[in-house]
Amino acid sequence: MSDLVLTRHQGAPGLTALAGYEQVGGYRSLRRAIEMGPEAIAAEVKASGLRGRGGAAFPTATKWSFLPKDSFPRYLCVNADESEPGCFKDRVLMEEYPHQLLEGVLIAAFALQVNHAFIYIRGEYRSQRELLERAVQEARQAGYGGPNVLGSGWDCELMVHGGAGAYICGEETALLDSLEGRRGQPRLKPPFPAVKGLYGQPTVVNNVETLSNLPFIVAEGGARYAALGTEASPGTRLFCVSGHVERPGTFEVPMGKTTFRDLLEMAGGVWRGRQFKAMQPGGGSMQILGPQHLDLPLDFKAVADAGSSLGAGALVIMDDSTCLVNVAMRLVDFYRHESCGKCVPCREGTYFESELMHRLEAGLATKAELTNLADICANMDGRCFCPLGDTATWFVMSAYRMFPEEFESHCGAGRCPVREPLAVAV
Amino acid sequence: MAETAAAELVTVSVDDRMVQVAPGTLVWDACEKAGVFVPVYCAHKKLEPVAVCRMCLVEVEGVPKLQPACATRVAPNMVIRTATEQVRKFRDGNLEFLLVNHPLDCPVCDRGGECDLQDFTQRYGPGRSRTSITEKVHFDKAIPLSDKIYLDQERCILCWRCVRYYEEITGEREIVLQERGVHTVVDTFERRPLQSQFQGNLPEICPVGALTHAKYRFRARPWDLRRTASVCSHCSFGCNIFVDAREDQVARYASNDNPEVDDSWLCDRGRYSFPEMNRSGRVSTPEARVGGVRQPVSHREAIERACGGLLRVRSEYGPEAMGVIGSARLTNEEAFALQWLARDVIRTKNLDHRLGKLDKLAPEDFALSIAEIEECDAVVVLGEKPEAAAPVLTLRLFKAEQKRRRKVSRVAVDSDPASLAGQLPANGRIGVVVHQQDVAVARKLRAELTTSTRQVQVLSILDQVNERGCQDLGLLPEWLPGYRPAPAGGMGTREMLQAATSGKLRALVLIDPWAELEAEPGFREAVANVDLAVVLAAWPGVATSEADVILPGRTLVEKAGTVTNTEGRVQRIRPGVEPKLAFPPDLRSIVELGRGMGGDFGSQPLAGPVFKRLAESVPAYSGTQGGLRAIWRAGI
Repeated sequence: MSDLVLTRHQGAPGLTALAGYEQVGGYRSLRRAIEMGPEAIAAEVKASGLRGRGGAAFPTATKWSFLPKDSFPRYLCVNADESEPGCFKDRVLMEEYPHQLLEGVLIAAFALQVNHAFIYIRGEYRSQRELLERAVQEARQAGYGGPNVLGSGWDCELMVHGGAGAYICGEETALLDSLEGRRGQPRLKPPFPAVKGLYGQPTVVNNVETLSNLPFIVAEGGARYAALGTEASPGTRLFCVSGHVERPGTFEVPMGKTTFRDLLEMAGGVWRGRQFKAMQPGGGSMQILGPQHLDLPLDFKAVADAGSSLGAGALVIMDDSTCLVNVAMRLVDFYRHESCGKCVPCREGTYFESELMHRLEAGLATKAELTNLADICANMDGRCFCPLGDTATWFVMSAYRMFPEEFESHCGAGRCPVREPLAVAV
Repeated sequence: MAETAAAELVTVSVDDRMVQVAPGTLVWDACEKAGVFVPVYCAHKKLEPVAVCRMCLVEVEGVPKLQPACATRVAPNMVIRTATEQVRKFRDGNLEFLLVNHPLDCPVCDRGGECDLQDFTQRYGPGRSRTSITEKVHFDKAIPLSDKIYLDQERCILCWRCVRYYEEITGEREIVLQERGVHTVVDTFERRPLQSQFQGNLPEICPVGALTHAKYRFRARPWDLRRTASVCSHCSFGCNIFVDAREDQVARYASNDNPEVDDSWLCDRGRYSFPEMNRSGRVSTPEARVGGVRQPVSHREAIERACGGLLRVRSEYGPEAMGVIGSARLTNEEAFALQWLARDVIRTKNLDHRLGKLDKLAPEDFALSIAEIEECDAVVVLGEKPEAAAPVLTLRLFKAEQKRRRKVSRVAVDSDPASLAGQLPANGRIGVVVHQQDVAVARKLRAELTTSTRQVQVLSILDQVNERGCQDLGLLPEWLPGYRPAPAGGMGTREMLQAATSGKLRALVLIDPWAELEAEPGFREAVANVDLAVVLAAWPGVATSEADVILPGRTLVEKAGTVTNTEGRVQRIRPGVEPKLAFPPDLRSIVELGRGMGGDFGSQPLAGPVFKRLAESVPAYSGTQGGLRAIWRAGI
């Protein structure tokens, strides 16, 4: 038996259509889930040790258990607002395996006794949205969605809703506000969505990849899923490898048993025969890791101990021609652009930070300004309303700590001392 | 709300000071109770917390991150620290963030001197700039959002109090957040002009100079203003205000939160009525007819000539040929003194303070208080007149509906009581809000809807600032002070004017003739026709042009005393502006007229002693000090 979960049907013909998915056993898990009943499904998910794949890695079964009993209607929202720099795994899951996602959504919806499930998809994912909408239609016509699913008496409407192009709407409460038609901004917590979420009702928000695991977990059992990984990091995970590699792409690997070096090799190694310099293990938000971390296993704790996180599963590799100040500057620009403007330290801090980073990268900043930069980051980290502002400082500060000389060499240099003049921006 | 029993309180420590607060109290309020000031921009006592400005972050023992005091609830034995190095450093840093893109406008900003950004920067902020950024992000400045409000987007610190005010307090949603990140601005959608009748509250809740009053722009500096707590004189609601005066001019009215009445919100009609008080061309000198020619005289001489004339008319034609017309803008003390002058000195039954004769309003027609609207299980508003007469009522109804989840129905005045009964809960407390003109409908509703399980209470809305007080204190022909029946036969205002024109009435005392009275057909002829017209007025008008004796009057911002709002709350007004000319206050003029005719008022003509005297006469008014409602026992 293969060790794959999400991509185990890779290569099967016509998978994006209902018929092709049914050919490989699709929607049998939904049938089985309905026979099992909500509690048994939740028990299997608990046994699987599945943790959220959106970045925070919160145990899925625990998240589900926060829903207050006897409070209806409840809603399920699927977070398909994949916007983390370097992250494209949900896109692959939606493009290649849309029915696997829908089956997972329906299983979760049944387990949570939800009659309305919403898929909030990133605004820029237009073709993926159309594809999902077609898949929802197909599933509904086949009786997997809509009224009286598979004759069970349970109704479940699936709705696909497109975002308008804001990174912050991947934050679950901002997603809910956006879905309700408001300005996409994170909400004050508590109350948490499990208690007061969409339209003020109990709501679970799960990531695309998280839910795509459910058909397997229901079919094969939670224990089998967990055993694919290690005890601390159960199951498999889809990693996006990009940056300075020969073959960027998504790779499903067992958690805990695979190392960063394995992933790098799967992606064909560092490109153009150059040397590895650094990597971002979890997307644009996460702290930098260096060559000394390449042999770390893809394990939540091991990466946390190294001062970073697996985040949303996006591994960005940087070769030795990379100027980390330049990378940091571009990331900070991203956060400045995506800050929703709700709280002061994020709104003004990302602006201040980005202006300083531009001066630094241009070789105009003084040493004092570099010290100020660190101080500004300290005034943002942990002080913002939501993690966006906090994470806007993580890469910069971790890169500065790991490569202090590179940052300092920019001060007063008049130009970037690392990149070749006239080099095309990454 | 009932006080929480001591046993249910939780003890928390704020900077090593122990305080006991109710469970669920916000850390911010606990700090306030402990006497520890925590700076904040976004939080506002009347708005839900949003925790966006981060200014109030404090340390909570056991929690790794700093916590927003404005949105964090206390837990038993919580240890809160607001003065640690961590907090100090962040406040400094957060103010730096706020100032990065803030324009250096202070010298030309209306808010300079009463700006939270200035104040907190002074107290907690960085002493000097360390930014190397040469160009700030620029936005639009001095945008007229309406004829009342200007918006300066550069000065805005995005606390979104204005946005939340429109969401939570008025429900009108006229101001929204637009764009994002550092480009975020507050604005109206597509720059449509503001339409609300409550815009004037915006500059007040704005912590900086982003929203300013058109009528106050560049008019004064806060340190040049003298602030006096008083009551808005524009309607009968009795909203509490501060009169902010610069020299002898009212520069603005500001709200002065009274949760029982205005809940800290003013309507634009009241707030922006102050220029009226600054109108020049006042009656500046007493005048009297000397040898048939009216000429300036001393105040004493004016009083003497008025009294002599009044006594002559009385001896010649009898007291019923004399009439006294006050106004609903008189203070309680003046109203009481004036009815004393009419009844006890002149001994006439002809006295009034209003134009039309309305249904006799009794204390039962004001049983419901303004704040109790929120406590009713359902509220019925009859027609549009109540809210047109007292706009702030609209905000109280919205609060009852939105925050307290009460059923508020606005129904036509001629609604059928039987069909209304079906829409109302069978049990509980029902409030009926009605304008005085339709009070008969409310009484009918009360009679038909009241059951053994359903209590119905009426709140009648009067029109003028002290209409209620003038009624309570008997400045009308039907009632003596305290709603005791008056002897029959007294004339009201319109009857007096007719009698004056026909020659039946020979003397008129007009205290503070108001615009509608002067516009009444035949008013000029009536005043001209009497043998003696004594007029006390602040501005010249029809009455003064025909008067035989003129006494200079004061405006409500120049008076001391009390006024009673429509629900029966007796509130103090204080002189916010000193009159330019040193003539005696109106109360003294009224009492001196009485004394000059041989009357004994039995008290100094000062607001305090007169109030004491009137409270003896009208027991419901004793115990109202401090702005309480008069309690009318049944049957009085």
